[in-house]
Amino acid sequence: MLEAMSLAILIGSLLVVGAVFTSLFSARFGAPILLVFLLVGLLAGEDGLGIEFSNFAGAYFIGSIALAIILFESGFETRWQTLKIALGPSLLLATLGVLVTAGLVGLGAHLLFDWSWLASLLLGTIVASTDAAAVFFLLRVGGISLRDRVRSTLEVESGSNDPMAIFLTIALVGIAGAGAARGEEQAILSLMRSLVTQIGFGGLLGLLGGVVIARIAKAVEFEPALQPIVVLAFALVLFAATNMVGGSGFLAVYCAGLVCGNTRIRHALAVRRFQRGMSWLAQIAMFLTLGLLAAPSDFPAVLLPAIALALVLMLLARPLAVWLCLLPFGFSRHETAFIAWVGLRGAVSILLAIVPLIGGVPEGRAIFNVAFVVVLVSLIVQGWTIGRVARFLGLVVPSRQGLVERIELELPGRGDHEVVAYRVHPDSAVGRGGRIPRWARPSLVLRDGRSLRFETAGRLQDGDQVYIVTATDHIRLLDHLFARPAETAGDAALFGDFGLSAQARMGELGDAYGFEVPEAVRGQTVADVIRETLDGDIEEGDRVACGPVDLIVRRVDEDRDVAEVGLALERSGPRPRLPLFQNRREIAAWLRTRRAARKARRDAAAAPPVPKRDDESTKVGDNAA
Amino acid sequence: MDLSDLLSPDAIIPSLKANSKRQALQELAEKAATLTGLDERQIFDTLLQRERLGSTGVGNGIAIPHGKLANLKRIQGLFARLPKPIDFEALDDQPIDIVFLLLAPESAGADHLKALARVARLLREPGLAGKLRASTDASALYAVLTASATSNAA
Repeated sequence: MLEAMSLAILIGSLLVVGAVFTSLFSARFGAPILLVFLLVGLLAGEDGLGIEFSNFAGAYFIGSIALAIILFESGFETRWQTLKIALGPSLLLATLGVLVTAGLVGLGAHLLFDWSWLASLLLGTIVASTDAAAVFFLLRVGGISLRDRVRSTLEVESGSNDPMAIFLTIALVGIAGAGAARGEEQAILSLMRSLVTQIGFGGLLGLLGGVVIARIAKAVEFEPALQPIVVLAFALVLFAATNMVGGSGFLAVYCAGLVCGNTRIRHALAVRRFQRGMSWLAQIAMFLTLGLLAAPSDFPAVLLPAIALALVLMLLARPLAVWLCLLPFGFSRHETAFIAWVGLRGAVSILLAIVPLIGGVPEGRAIFNVAFVVVLVSLIVQGWTIGRVARFLGLVVPSRQGLVERIELELPGRGDHEVVAYRVHPDSAVGRGGRIPRWARPSLVLRDGRSLRFETAGRLQDGDQVYIVTATDHIRLLDHLFARPAETAGDAALFGDFGLSAQARMGELGDAYGFEVPEAVRGQTVADVIRETLDGDIEEGDRVACGPVDLIVRRVDEDRDVAEVGLALERSGPRPRLPLFQNRREIAAWLRTRRAARKARRDAAAAPPVPKRDDESTKVGDNAA
Repeated sequence: MDLSDLLSPDAIIPSLKANSKRQALQELAEKAATLTGLDERQIFDTLLQRERLGSTGVGNGIAIPHGKLANLKRIQGLFARLPKPIDFEALDDQPIDIVFLLLAPESAGADHLKALARVARLLREPGLAGKLRASTDASALYAVLTASATSNAA
């Protein structure tokens, strides 16, 4: 008995160690780390090293807890600001998007496999959700800085769409189990009712629970090491309790995480670090378990149709769903295309694939294998190409700030001040002799193993470690002073030859550079024109064509407004244009020209054509991007 | 590509003394007036008007003031080095000691922008500012500016 236990612990922890070590290599090859965990599980499983594990209920149990922890953390890491930017599009994607994707994949499965409609749709709902863990990991660690709105939408969508997929899957399995005993109408009605309670209770209890957890974590002084434990334990209490009253526990922990993460609680830094660690552990546990559970020797039987289905999902179902959901929000074609491509499937899909097996759906085993292959294909193909696709579509924001070496230390008992330690780099603003503002006076400088007072340390030198007590809000400003120059900072191709005042008048600009500006635009400032053309979605490096020159957004301020503008004397070349994903405005324009053309044809039949006036030669403010 | 079509050997000021941005522009306008035969005041006002849109200090101690003038015959460059760097409200807040003035006729249109882009690109070349700062006499400065332009074209 004792030996068996030790053996289980030995194998389990060796697997975790193995998975973590392999992750070192995955960074080098750019392979999605989660894929590596999954592969380690597969290798150790019954067709590899021969670990027999086929306890589906146990795997589902482990996976559910792990997913709750992951979702709580992803809520915890999401800033209000991110949510504010992305709320509309991601909510639509998380609901309607999941439905459309599931429906289309279900249709594909029905055509590819000889399955009942129910089983096909079940597969559709299983692979309908975007995996939060995979998306978060690739966006945060992938080292590309994406346009803010795209990143936010993807983050919030992937964090909030699991509950919908989970709900649909469980509901479909329920119907399959109940068979045709009840009338169809009744089944649909109860489905709708349970959807409303799931989402209503889940969201409401989640927000309430989040407020309560944050209050407690703020008011009560626990032993510091226990603080993160209490928060996480409360989150799991909330998860289970919400499930018991018929709400979606997953939605609840995500919402609670959002509230807690955006409240200044005690030991916030320690809690965050603990959450991150737990979330990693949960992901490793989940992927290993699911990898162990699968039997790759069963895959060849379904391999080809499953790959075909993965292609249907990646190239048809997801893009169509994303395009439909984003239509009301004026995303550009490239943004829509990218969001469609980053629909990574992951652990949630495999976890959900267990549900039909537990529920005794006849096609259960086949569904599980197909879902597994679809996830693998998605992780490999999409996960591996994200960076390249982002660059091809021009959605990577050029960085003006280089690397910062910073360590944050928490002050006991307070949430609004921190000690930060920077290492001075010779090329940073401070290293080149820049002044440190009064509000950020360093308390201590460590140099060659000696500690010096800032006043007596003299000019900061390469390698100095500088300790500063500062308000949490000021850290971003300090980063500027201690950052190395970005490789692209002085790049005129990205930020223009000259700087312009954001308040410069268009009329005067036209006079200085010899291009005509329409009378109505002359009085407007450069920032006005940029704002109008970019329609609220302003990002550093954005270009707006203006006569023979380009206006470039050099810096945006905290309110995401134009702060500095650059002027490029040479226009940038045209970017690749996709023939897909037209947005609302483009569709409207196309319909207008169609109608005009038809009218012109009708008029031409009746009367001779009128010569067209050419008044579009100096169009100002037409967006090059 | 060669800057010698914009810059004549006598349009180099190896040591321009000024204490402020305004004074520097005034000195440059005066020299440009003798080179082109135009009114000094008119040149100065044009330059000042352009600076109002945003400083032409492009960073790294370099400024490229420019403007268009109605009765100028051809595009005219003027280079100056300042022994004492002055504040030019540049974006990186660094004082400037290298100035390239570029004046263009009102009708120059795209040629004005092309010439300006060439000057800006040339002065961004790594190492060029260092060479300019190391030279003290007009002919050496002229050689650096034109030699580097030809190597750039190759």
